[in-house]
Amino acid sequence: MDKTETKFGRGLLGAVAAAVVAAPLAVATPAIAQDYPSADETLDWTIAFGPGGGNDIMARSIIEILNKYDLYPGEISAENRAGGSGAVGWGYLYAQDGNGYGISTTSGSFVTTPLQADTPWQPEDFTPVALLATDDLVLVVNGESDIQNIDQFIANAKENPITIGGTGSVNVDFIVPTLFAKRAGFEFDYVSFNSMSEQTTALLSNALDAMVGNPGEILGLIDSGDLRPMVFSGTSTPAALEGVPTMGDIGYDIGVSMPRGLILPPNAPEEAQTFWIETMKKVVETPEWDEYISSNTLTPTVLYGDEFRTFLGNTKNGFETVLREVGAIE
Amino acid sequence: MDIFSDLMMGLSIAISPINLFYLLIGAIVGMIVGVIPGFGPSAGLAILLPVTFGMDPIGAIMMLAAIYYGAMYGGTITSILLNTPGESATVASTFDGFPLAKKGRAGPALVMQAAASFVGGTVGVILITILAPLFAQVSRSFGPPEYFLLAVMGMLTLLVMIGTNWKFGVISALIGFALGTVGVDLETGQGRYTFGSAELIGGIYFIPIAIGLFGLGELFYAFYTGLHKTGTGGIVQYDKEERFWPSIEDWVSTRFTMVRGSILGFVVGVIPGAGATIASLMAYSTERSISKNGDNFGNGEMAGLVAPETANNAASSGAMIPLLTLGIPGSASTAVLLAAFLLWGLRPGPLFMEQNPELAWGLIASMYLGNMVLLVISIFAIPLFVQMIKVPYRVLGPSVVVVCALGTFSVHASFIETYLMFAAGMVGFFMRLYGFSPAALVLALVLGPLAEEALRQTMTISRGSFGIFIERTPSLSIICVTIALVVLLPLLNRFGNTSAGESEKAGS
Repeated sequence: MDKTETKFGRGLLGAVAAAVVAAPLAVATPAIAQDYPSADETLDWTIAFGPGGGNDIMARSIIEILNKYDLYPGEISAENRAGGSGAVGWGYLYAQDGNGYGISTTSGSFVTTPLQADTPWQPEDFTPVALLATDDLVLVVNGESDIQNIDQFIANAKENPITIGGTGSVNVDFIVPTLFAKRAGFEFDYVSFNSMSEQTTALLSNALDAMVGNPGEILGLIDSGDLRPMVFSGTSTPAALEGVPTMGDIGYDIGVSMPRGLILPPNAPEEAQTFWIETMKKVVETPEWDEYISSNTLTPTVLYGDEFRTFLGNTKNGFETVLREVGAIE
Repeated sequence: MDIFSDLMMGLSIAISPINLFYLLIGAIVGMIVGVIPGFGPSAGLAILLPVTFGMDPIGAIMMLAAIYYGAMYGGTITSILLNTPGESATVASTFDGFPLAKKGRAGPALVMQAAASFVGGTVGVILITILAPLFAQVSRSFGPPEYFLLAVMGMLTLLVMIGTNWKFGVISALIGFALGTVGVDLETGQGRYTFGSAELIGGIYFIPIAIGLFGLGELFYAFYTGLHKTGTGGIVQYDKEERFWPSIEDWVSTRFTMVRGSILGFVVGVIPGAGATIASLMAYSTERSISKNGDNFGNGEMAGLVAPETANNAASSGAMIPLLTLGIPGSASTAVLLAAFLLWGLRPGPLFMEQNPELAWGLIASMYLGNMVLLVISIFAIPLFVQMIKVPYRVLGPSVVVVCALGTFSVHASFIETYLMFAAGMVGFFMRLYGFSPAALVLALVLGPLAEEALRQTMTISRGSFGIFIERTPSLSIICVTIALVVLLPLLNRFGNTSAGESEKAGS
């Protein structure tokens, strides 16, 4: 049942991010700022997905860093509140209006689930802390295929319509190849799967022509030559995929990726937001964070506070438009 | 490649005292999470995963793996004693396990299930040891067409389960298929019968339904028949005079069942996504159609318990193959194991066993030891569990309700699923009363969505042509095997019945 959490987002605002880092140093008075965080309060960390997923690994990596460097004075209790593609966990956080001691990590479903279901909350409702990274996709073909590079791939796809597999339908796995194909001028049929495992075996069994996926989950198969990477959707290719062009490199930049960030309940106290923004600035400087980014092949993309909220709103609107066009949502 | 020296190297790692200790912890935790209905191995793994941070990877992975296959041992205990599957892969074990306990053979049934689990688990590890590369080829040959055919093969087992009252059986299966349509349509992303509820986006999970139909349904029925008035009788009659150990007959009659269940379970387990649940259901129905006593299945036939038990344990071993050789997790539990590997910076894939021989072989060797440990724990724990059925029914009954509710809630912390479980309990009672087939309902609920998704994926890939099923070698092979099973088995059976002397050969 533990379906792979949906993933997506948009971004590529690295340049902006750099400029924005100092922006939300808020106006909280020192007296109030000292009140938060109180060492007596337990931080209630909601992980809106099951253990072992991308969201879980991110939350636990951050908590480890917080503990190791003593960045948070009180206890941190992390709970997996999975269900309804994140609706349960984030609904739980939403209900803690005004509380500064609830916190959660976001992923693609943070934007897509409200588009699919009647959640009482929208992504912009929460108090934004920071966008920390984006998760991008790699387009791969079977290692036995004659297609050696992305130029051949596009040329071939223009001749014969192809199939591309991905996980889920209302998410970035669908949107990335759709936008890319539009830019590159080829057509394809999208085949949606419940999990990365199923789509990978489908590609290995030669049922599919290609698929998109998070590089981290298929690096083993890429290293062994069983899968051949064609193109990467992020701004810069991770070290593990050296030599693979980005979509931007070949002139078909699509500007979509999945946001991995941190949020507080709606209307959380300003000093809580300030504290977490300052704290996350320290977290992203640690070697452990670099290790997390590289071992999960993420793209570091940092945005703080209201910039993150604007980013979420834009992402949601962009997605809504594409999904409505193809009839995936009403 | 010298398998034997690799295995010995792995064994020397696994046998260190600290690793043995972790293995023991894993086995015990696995048993416990298996016993609690609904609370399955993936939840148990999830709880212990954070504890393993900072541990030596080999010990940690041995422990986590032991939880995973240990749950298959524990899950059957409540299937047999309470008709409540402790775990999805032990649904099929209720079919004959509970009737056996009702006949007063709870002790032998528990011993046989432990033995069957051990055989299944061990045969599975042996197959991993000697044939991992070969089975990796099987894992990677499965695309949507093959998954669809596999689901169809699974549905053939519905025919077996429906039994004599075919009208009610068909209705039961149709209800299951209907429930299976709830949730977001994978292809278009549109919600079907979700009524805007976020909790129904993912569809109706079959665990709450199975717990309700089997566990609560049976309980309500027992109340209806006045069992609670018998006072000390317990939920099942337990005859003190009955021997605790299985009879020679039990062993002899199921020796080939164990072999068949192990091999079938392993092969199904190797296929990502199919898993132990489908393996156990398929093993049950295959055994039922092969067996001379097929008509007695469902009334407490030992082979009907042994078949799914060997299969689910062999399947849990088999599921390690795609994980270790391709880095592809075949189930929720192996996905948590994969996450554990990733946390330690290990990246399972085709090069994994070559690059990390200590870890890979240490894990495989630990599975031999783990199965032995689990066999011993099971045998010692059985007298304890048998005490459970001596508890007066008026105490046991309400406890079962609480355990079912908590177990269901613990899976996804979902109130809707808990309500569904209670609703399924009511439905289960009436199904029991009027002779419908809860098993057919659950099987249809499991296979329906699988078949629908796979067929639609296949049709997208082939652009609407059914030719794809015979163009692909793996799918053509499955079609041939299915036809062989459907046509040949009844013939073999007839042959076996007419000539008793030949039936043993035909059956094996």
